[in-house]
Amino acid sequence: MEAQKVDMFIMSNGKFFEGHQMNMIRERLLALDDSKWAMLSTVQLKDPTTSLIISILAGGLGIDRFMIGDTGLGIGKLLTCGGLGVWSIIDWFMIQKATREKNMQKIQQFLY
Amino acid sequence: MTINRNKLYSILFIACIAGYIWLYYSIKINLTETNSVEVCLIKHLTSIPCPSCGSTRSVISLTKGNLNEAFNLNPFGLVIALIMLIAPVWIITDLILSNNSLFVFYQKIENTLKKTKYAIPLILLVIINWIWNITKDL
Repeated sequence: MEAQKVDMFIMSNGKFFEGHQMNMIRERLLALDDSKWAMLSTVQLKDPTTSLIISILAGGLGIDRFMIGDTGLGIGKLLTCGGLGVWSIIDWFMIQKATREKNMQKIQQFLY
Repeated sequence: MTINRNKLYSILFIACIAGYIWLYYSIKINLTETNSVEVCLIKHLTSIPCPSCGSTRSVISLTKGNLNEAFNLNPFGLVIALIMLIAPVWIITDLILSNNSLFVFYQKIENTLKKTKYAIPLILLVIINWIWNITKDL
C-alpha cells in the first residue's frame, strides 16, 4: 500500500493501538495489497478512553468487559459484583490496555 | 489482555479459591453475628442493591439445603454455586490430561452469548433480576 495511505491510517487510528505495535502495523500495512484497504477502513475499533469511562461508571457490573468483547470475563464480573469490588478497581487500570489488544486482534485478520 | 488457556485457568482457579475462602469466612461470621458482612461497593455508595447482591446469602442457604430460599434470595447464587462446583474439577482434569476442553467450551459459550438472539433475553433477565433485588430490598 502507498506510504501516504498507511501514514494516514496510523495518524487517525494511532490511539487505538499500543505504542510498541505501531511499527509492526506500519510495516505490515506497507506490504499489504491495496484491495484490503476498503476492508481495513470499515473495521470498528473501540476507543480506550470510552472503555475507561464505562469501567469507572459501570465496571462493577462488568459492562466494560462486555463492551470490548470479553463476554466470559464480563459474566464473571457481573456475577461476583465486580469481583467484590477489587476486580473492578484493578480493571480501571487494565481496561485501556485490554481494549487496545482487542483492537489489535481485530485488525490482525487483515494484516496476514 | 488476550486470553489463553493458562491465563483463563489461573483466573478461574483463583476466583474459585477466593470464592470458597469468602464462603467459609461468611459462614463463620454468620455463626457469631446476626447480620452478614456487606462488601458491595455499589450498595455502599448508592444504597441500591446491585444485580448480584445477596448471592453470598443464596449460596450459604444452598449449603444448608434450602433450594427455595436460595432462589428467592438471588437466582445468581445457583449459577455461582454451579460454576464453583464444576470449574475446579474441570480445570484439574484438564491439567492432568493436558487437555484444553474447558478453554474450547469457554470460547464456544462466549461466541454463542455474543449473538443477539441469546444476548438480549439474558440482558433482560439480569435487569428483571435487578428490579426484583431492589423491590426485595436485599
